[in-house]
Amino acid sequence: MVLKKAATVATATTSEKSAYGLQDWLRLIDSTSPEDRRLAARALAEFPVSAPALLNTLARESNIRVKGAILVSLQCIGGHRVLEGLLPFLRSDNAALRNGVIEILQGMPNEIGDYINDLLHDQDSDVRIFAIDILQTLAHPDSPTWLLDVILHDKHVNVVATAIDRLTEIGTPEMLPAMKSVLARFPNEPYIEFIVNLAIKRLSED
Amino acid sequence: MKKILIVDDATTVRMYHRQLMESLGYHVEEAGNGVEALEKASQDTYDLFLVDINMPKMDGYTFIEEIRKTPAVKATPAIMISTEETESDRDKAYEAGANFYFIKPVRMEAIQTFTKLLTGGAE
Repeated sequence: MVLKKAATVATATTSEKSAYGLQDWLRLIDSTSPEDRRLAARALAEFPVSAPALLNTLARESNIRVKGAILVSLQCIGGHRVLEGLLPFLRSDNAALRNGVIEILQGMPNEIGDYINDLLHDQDSDVRIFAIDILQTLAHPDSPTWLLDVILHDKHVNVVATAIDRLTEIGTPEMLPAMKSVLARFPNEPYIEFIVNLAIKRLSED
Repeated sequence: MKKILIVDDATTVRMYHRQLMESLGYHVEEAGNGVEALEKASQDTYDLFLVDINMPKMDGYTFIEEIRKTPAVKATPAIMISTEETESDRDKAYEAGANFYFIKPVRMEAIQTFTKLLTGGAE
């Protein structure tokens, strides 16, 4: 059956939209109309097979609302393939995209656990900081151990500072000696001194 | 007393910068992301924004671009403070409309000097 389609999805009736299938939405994700692309991105959440197309579109999409719709659909689809497709965006020059990806990865605790250790040992200190940002709201039982390893071994002051910031919330009193050792590793760093003392105070109160 | 809005998603960073600014005699308020900061900026008058780049909901570049488009706050100076170390990050900050760009951890003397310079002092 050949269906007559409206010129744009935005002007289509509900019954016309219900006739759209995977191929229609994949065609519309490349539309020149941002509203069509947004609607297509949302609709493709129902089709896990569309994940590679959504990831490709995310890389070149400039409209912030379309980007948001793509990220939400990718989160709905989920799984390791989506997660592996999202990880390269942590190296994007686009801060809004990076932060959007971090928020999506925070919502994938079952999948991200397998990758976080590699991210925490990435050569790029910014990626290591983003990995700690992902752990910020990720309810993963290994988070305190991962962060403890960072404060004991990472050489970059901002990575260590970010990890201490998180540990002030989820650390335990057993981590106090490790916290104190950071002061010796980064002498003459007033911010490190400030947050370590804050963390020691909070953990001592526990 | 002049007023500074610190925009950063890390609580400890906000606390640290608050301490630095209050020691100079400024009144300090805080926002955890760009959206919250825009809301505060629309309701109150600030003499300086201290802004991080990577934050949920709205990043620092976008926040500064937005305030530069808003007549009531477009002239308010903004210092961007971030862990991002590359030239392109610095360039993007200035293109967005930042007055200065500092890489964390910022030397206390540096941030205090530039804050005084941009606000003309706390009083």
